[in-house]
Amino acid sequence: MAGFLSAHGYDPGPTQRPLSAGAISGIAAAIPAVAVLWLFGSLEVESRIVSLPLWATLGLGFAAMAIAGAAYGRLFGRAANHKRGGWLFGMAFGFALWAAGAVLVLPIASGGQTPAGPAAVGVALSLLVWGCATGLLIPFIHPYLHVGLESVPTKAELGPNAAASTQKRQVPQHKPK
Amino acid sequence: MIRSVDFPKAVKAGAAGALAMEVVAFALGLAGIRAVDLAAELGSVLVPVDHGIGWTGGLVAHLGVGILWALFYAYFAWGRLNWRPALQGLAFSAIPAVLAILFVYPQLKLMQAGGDVVALDWKNLPDLELPTLLSILVMHAVFGLVVGAIYRRPVGYLVGHKPAGFVKTRHFDRAVDRGRGNPNGFLFATGIEGSYPTIDHGRWRRDEMDSTLHYRHWQRDFDLCRKLGITHLRYGPPLHLTFIGPGKYDWSWIDEPMEELRRFGPEPIVDLCHFGVPDWLGGLQNPELGKAMAEFAGAFAERFPWARFYTPVNEMYVCARMSGLDGNWNEQKHDDRSFVVAVCNLANASVRMTDAILKRRPDAIFVNSESSDFTQPCCPDPKIQREAQLENERRFLPLDLIFAHPLSDFMKDYVRDNGMSDKEIDRFASRKVPRRSVLGVDYYEWNERLIDTHGRVVALGELFGWYVIAKQYWDRYQRPMMYTETNRMDAADAPRWLWRQWHNVQLMRKSNVPMIGFTWYSLTDQIDWNIALTKAIGLVFPVGLFDMNRDVRTVGLAYKQLIDMWGDVPEFRNCGDVAELLR
Repeated sequence: MAGFLSAHGYDPGPTQRPLSAGAISGIAAAIPAVAVLWLFGSLEVESRIVSLPLWATLGLGFAAMAIAGAAYGRLFGRAANHKRGGWLFGMAFGFALWAAGAVLVLPIASGGQTPAGPAAVGVALSLLVWGCATGLLIPFIHPYLHVGLESVPTKAELGPNAAASTQKRQVPQHKPK
Repeated sequence: MIRSVDFPKAVKAGAAGALAMEVVAFALGLAGIRAVDLAAELGSVLVPVDHGIGWTGGLVAHLGVGILWALFYAYFAWGRLNWRPALQGLAFSAIPAVLAILFVYPQLKLMQAGGDVVALDWKNLPDLELPTLLSILVMHAVFGLVVGAIYRRPVGYLVGHKPAGFVKTRHFDRAVDRGRGNPNGFLFATGIEGSYPTIDHGRWRRDEMDSTLHYRHWQRDFDLCRKLGITHLRYGPPLHLTFIGPGKYDWSWIDEPMEELRRFGPEPIVDLCHFGVPDWLGGLQNPELGKAMAEFAGAFAERFPWARFYTPVNEMYVCARMSGLDGNWNEQKHDDRSFVVAVCNLANASVRMTDAILKRRPDAIFVNSESSDFTQPCCPDPKIQREAQLENERRFLPLDLIFAHPLSDFMKDYVRDNGMSDKEIDRFASRKVPRRSVLGVDYYEWNERLIDTHGRVVALGELFGWYVIAKQYWDRYQRPMMYTETNRMDAADAPRWLWRQWHNVQLMRKSNVPMIGFTWYSLTDQIDWNIALTKAIGLVFPVGLFDMNRDVRTVGLAYKQLIDMWGDVPEFRNCGDVAELLR
């Protein structure tokens, strides 16, 4: 998918800050996700599985979501700024996190223990909600982090020398034999 | 944005696909085959399955999941394979099917289990029997077929319809009060891509201003131009929506954007006909085209008397070729006669539109944009040499007609053989070309072509470059020139391309050719650019100064640097060639 996005101008560009925008959005989106976990009793179950106090589980969760948000911002690049589709891309990312993290890594890391019943529903829903919220938030948060067009510094690689930028051929050196 | 997606269509496709899965599950059940009923599985996660609410809730959840997958298909998969739409959907359905088998179905079983923690090992993984597995695969295949069959043509609309989404003037905090501009300044331009040909034998209308969301973001688009320092904007009304019948106009599509441009800039170079004609005119074979378009041009000039720059018909050669010879747009013909008729009608329209505008605005400036093509024969094979000669003569035909340049004997024979009378040839040749006529030359990396040893036409890339090709046009017409379109499909390479084209412009100026402007085309990315809009796929190509979210691309910043660097250089700030043209 990254290759596909890349083919369509995926590079976020010099005025954008996808990592910061993703991390901030990821933290903000963790709030409704935690609410879902709490509603289904999943938070307590997860805390039990990872053998950590509730507050530590929560702290770990917020840190993980900040990193996951930054990763989402970087991976989806320009597409993450799309207001209409961002929520969908975020949900897809949330689904991938669930499949990779909650379904595969968590049981392996905890000796085979995994949430079941409503707690499992809560874990799946919380990651979908987190992804959806992250994807929704980035297009609105990111513009506040952009470098303004008026204040963007002049960049040598975008100036007149760019005409030769991908043709860095060495001038042939004639060596005496 | 990576795709232009038709949300309502995708929602319908997803819901229909999920319903079809339920129907198949029901039918398999009736046939005695044990199939997975996903609505029941989803519903029983929270409520017992025998409870009616459980199944209904599950069905709603299943419809929701179907819609999400259809949207995902629309964004990431549709149009990637050159297959029938239903088969594209079928291929895509492998993804949700595999995920359902590996993750979702086993997890649903865990969710339905009692307790809040289970200890997993390889022995107690949820069981997936062969009939269950096969039913999941079959149902997903049905889902894919239905979604694929319904979700097609996400951009454009049926001929006779109108696009939704034109947004009226809103309160808007303009970043710059008024765009950059000097009375005699060199033109640093861009354009709003506004092609509107029909495809599918006149049934489907492509509308790039709709697809690129310009109807929604037009105020912001103009502001982005001002932020970069753009002085002129190649822009025009959507002809097919504005010119709704003989003597009938719907100016609501253009009144407010033109007023915004008048008050705040940049100055428009009004593009009155861009690759298509209104439904009621049919196509380019219509002999009434010139008369009708003259009427429209006159009405436009009367309504917007302050507009000075006009492109009466954009890229006549490309338009006639795509419609009359290559069979891609509008009437979709495939013969030389149709091509010649299209050229003749378009050139006639251009001339008559020019005259109509001059009646209302005698000092109007006409930027006659044309694609600069060149065809190189690969070898001395007489057939290939003849083919290249035909291409290299034919490319000049529309400009020869409007600039009253004598046709070569070769071309005279060609147009006569294809139905153009000597009277028509003489009428064009005796035209008095207005003094303020500019030769606009467009150039892209595929404009130079090679006829290879098999007689195929292949793109050469930038072999000779804009300077050499455009010089051939200058030598022929000796009109003030403007570089009216260029871009690069590889966004990462676009700044390099921009500066290389600018160095070409500099060389042209140093060769004493009057140059009045330069254009990066276009302001935003474009849709289906690689296939010249011939199919309604909705793929976004990163050729713009800004992407579809209106976030700047590196080439946008490079163009800003270029304008900042050169815009105030005395010979550009007060450009002699522009002053002479406007005199």
